[in-house]
Amino acid sequence: MEKNKNPLSPHLQIYRWHISSLLSISHRIVGVINILIITLICFWVCSLLLGENSYESTREVLKTFFGKFLIISFCWTFSFHILNEIRHIAWDMGYGFDLKVAKITGILVFLGSFILTALFFIVGKYFI
Amino acid sequence: MVKFNLPQNSKIEVGSYYKDKTNSTNLKKVNVYRWDPSTGNNPRIDTFEVDMDHCGPKVLDILFKIKNEIDPSLTFRRSCAHGVCGSCAMNIDGVNTLACIKSHTDINGELNVYPLPHLKVVKDLIGDLTTLYKQYESIQPWLKVEQTGEEKVELKQSQKDREKLDGHYECILCACCSTSCPSYWWNGDKYLGPAVLLQAYRWINDSRDGSKKERLKKVADELKLYRCHTIMNCTNSCPKGLNPAKAIGSIKKMLATS
Repeated sequence: MEKNKNPLSPHLQIYRWHISSLLSISHRIVGVINILIITLICFWVCSLLLGENSYESTREVLKTFFGKFLIISFCWTFSFHILNEIRHIAWDMGYGFDLKVAKITGILVFLGSFILTALFFIVGKYFI
Repeated sequence: MVKFNLPQNSKIEVGSYYKDKTNSTNLKKVNVYRWDPSTGNNPRIDTFEVDMDHCGPKVLDILFKIKNEIDPSLTFRRSCAHGVCGSCAMNIDGVNTLACIKSHTDINGELNVYPLPHLKVVKDLIGDLTTLYKQYESIQPWLKVEQTGEEKVELKQSQKDREKLDGHYECILCACCSTSCPSYWWNGDKYLGPAVLLQAYRWINDSRDGSKKERLKKVADELKLYRCHTIMNCTNSCPKGLNPAKAIGSIKKMLATS
């Protein structure tokens, strides 16, 4: 049989997204973004060593609307990744595989990531 | 290999439109994936208008109605028609399931029927599952014991040990789970996939089996097992309500703790 001539049936194009699969792919994408952000933070910290001028220039960038938007987005990517990772640890320990439980924890992770972001913001703004 | 797009010869074209001839007022539009190996054309989507006043409740009934009354060349696998054999596994409304236990009343609007995802199509709704069966063979799905058969001693199993197989032995190998798994789409040649891993777990977990350690060792592989990222499409699609994701998680846990 000439197998290679046979077409491949459609997959991503037709498969319906579930909460679990959406969270799984976002977990991966957010993971990659987080690595980039951590690298950026390292560069930022290094640049502070260069003295007051370089501190002021980064501060100017971060004080703009876009800068604030970036910082809040990063808070969200970290929150999301941490919470979903907790879900993964629970799975690794053998808990939470039930379809309903997995769905609920998925929704909790998603909502929780925004709450955690808000907490980061509030703590950062008023308590530090 | 991750390839998001379909190859050139698999791009889906618009097929024929079969208008209803019965003058029924209760019509359902059914879009079916078609591919005929004898023509050399690309796959197409044919649309059938089906009279629902004279049709059974299952998706399989619709397919039969099309085959019997509209287009006899429509090809699909089926056998038992009540969710026991697993032949009529296909992608219905975006989720893999058995056409014989899926009610079309659950689906609003048009009904989309495709073969199981990411398989080489044999014809119309039939995908080629050869790789999956080979992988199933590779986990040696039979009891491996020291006994030769000469002993004439029964291999006894306590009720408690037997209960450990519940939720695993019910698997009918319809391949809904494996073909719903993105990891299996991208690495289907190396990753065993949820269906086979569920079976692997079933044999690892059998108290009568004598080669638990070897079985575990064999499955403990970066590609064979750990390509599972708990996407849970498998559990979401299983028409028998089993939980392959949990079985794979249990194997991972066994390996981590042994």
